[in-house]
Amino acid sequence: MSPSSRGEAQQRTDAIRAFQAELERLEREGVLALGEDQRRAVAQHHARLLAEYARAFDIDRDVQAKQLSLGMRIASFLGALALAASVFFLFYQFWGLFSTTAQVAILLLAALGTLAATVWVQGRDATGYFTKLAAMVAFACFVLNIVMLGQIFNITPSDKALLPWAVFALVLAYACDLRLLLAAGILCLVAFVSARTGTWSGMYWLHFGERPENFFPAAVALFFVPLVIRHDRFAGFGAMYRVFALLTLFLPMLVLANWGEASYVDLDPHVIKGSYQVLGFALSAAAVWLGVRRQWPEVVNTGVTFFVIFLYTKFFDWWWETMPKYLFFFVLGLTAILFLVVLRRLRGVGQKQPRGFA
Amino acid sequence: MMRWSRVHTLIAGATLVVLTNAVALIGVAYNRSGDPDGALAFTQRELQMSYKWWRARENSGIGLRLVWRVYDEEVGDESDTARWYGVGGAPAWLTKAKLDELGFDVSQPEDSDRGVRHYERQLPKEVLVVLELDGPAYAEARERAKRHADREEALRTANPDKKEFEQRSKEARERLEREGQQYSRLFVVDAGLDVGGLRAKYPDRAHYAIARGQVRLLLPGSRRSSKLKGYVSELSIDEINVTLEFRNAFEHALPDATTGMRSPVRFDATVAFGRRLEPWITAAARGGSD
Repeated sequence: MSPSSRGEAQQRTDAIRAFQAELERLEREGVLALGEDQRRAVAQHHARLLAEYARAFDIDRDVQAKQLSLGMRIASFLGALALAASVFFLFYQFWGLFSTTAQVAILLLAALGTLAATVWVQGRDATGYFTKLAAMVAFACFVLNIVMLGQIFNITPSDKALLPWAVFALVLAYACDLRLLLAAGILCLVAFVSARTGTWSGMYWLHFGERPENFFPAAVALFFVPLVIRHDRFAGFGAMYRVFALLTLFLPMLVLANWGEASYVDLDPHVIKGSYQVLGFALSAAAVWLGVRRQWPEVVNTGVTFFVIFLYTKFFDWWWETMPKYLFFFVLGLTAILFLVVLRRLRGVGQKQPRGFA
Repeated sequence: MMRWSRVHTLIAGATLVVLTNAVALIGVAYNRSGDPDGALAFTQRELQMSYKWWRARENSGIGLRLVWRVYDEEVGDESDTARWYGVGGAPAWLTKAKLDELGFDVSQPEDSDRGVRHYERQLPKEVLVVLELDGPAYAEARERAKRHADREEALRTANPDKKEFEQRSKEARERLEREGQQYSRLFVVDAGLDVGGLRAKYPDRAHYAIARGQVRLLLPGSRRSSKLKGYVSELSIDEINVTLEFRNAFEHALPDATTGMRSPVRFDATVAFGRRLEPWITAAARGGSD
């Protein structure tokens, strides 16, 4: 089956390169010897695939190209942010000099024009880097469009604006296979769902961040998105949803584990703090277990990171004032070693390696 | 299955952009349709260039901050609270019963630890507030400044040799002058949840406007002697955009570009509040100088 995205094509290219290197090694060690016909058939097949992928997706054909690609990814990310900021400041520089009709027309045309430019660039940019730049500018133009309409006509601020921004970012993310836009869309969705949750309790929507529990429904919903909707064609999208789901769950939990007064639950703040500390440990440990079981490395890493943060925060609370500093850091070091041992065991279980091999 | 093409992306994105703009603009048209809910004649006393706009040198737009006050009966005559405009206040009319009416849970006694926690935990709510221009609240504020100036003048007369009283009297006179010529005449005088009810109570549309604002709970004093109060903290729309049409009226009234000092140039501006209670400038003219 031919790959439908650059990510899939790159995965197959990496697999071909690994296969070629291993085949060469096996032949050198005398383990395997392919006949001349077989060798030629495999080589021709691979050469044809690589040429096809290079033409269709501009994949990295060797290690050097891959290193350069990383640089291009970083440059395109920074460039996208800078261009988006540039659009904001450009408009602010001159908007006061236009009539209201001209302001609205410029904002609308900028949003539509940059969207059209993104689609045009996508058709000519196999690498995706320039598409990312254009898509980010289009998203910035749409955000600016709605923000400025609010400012021009003195519209009451509303969380509802977050929803079209989220949908716009997600359309661009899926259409152009862009994780940066997916992140922007997810952040808008998290803010929208959390603000809605907050308003149901009667608070003014801009204060939704003051009750960290408002983020929990968004966290749960995000976690289930890749389970309900398959993302096979979109490399890394499923992982993005899972990482943002865990961040949306654990960061508010961390706040509540240290500031019980912020909870909806009307109990003694110390009880709330303690409960969230226990919950934080339990859920981050559960995330590690689930990540290992389902082979989701990003879930394992996020779970481990938060388990360590919850633990170190607790250590700080308990011992920073009372312990000599050398002992405090020694305990931290010992717990890190303990973690390494536990994770090594988990890795061993996950890989089902023979005893004594690792 | 249909394959998603670039044309689909363009159609989906463009539809979303156009629809969102249409919804926003229809809302604006609805707000400005028919007779406005209220139309107040402000001057430079009620509309001021906010510090945010003055600082943003690369922003060519002009936004004017609505300067509003709250008359707090519990503040002594000597307090010149108008200097700190826009930071809100706890007026006497925002009673426990009014807070209950606004949707706050005021069922707990204030003088218990549980009650204090109960009130501290409640977050601000968006409600409707009534803005009164040059009405009884402003008259009260002027009267308060006058009482204070008279008292200080009497003290100065009774203590002719003491410099301190001379200085205090001078400051009180200056405050009275500022109250009469410089401070905002716009006061938040009531709050509610129903536009119709509030409008029936304040039918004068030339002196009363209804806007959205935020109210929160306040427990001043020590825990055991706390008395629950409501605090008007901000208006949901506290800045009004100046369109190109009216730019000339305000351009000369901008603060000094280097010092940020207020301009002495005066202006008059009528601000209407529409069906959605969103304000806009309907007329503006440049006046003379102070």
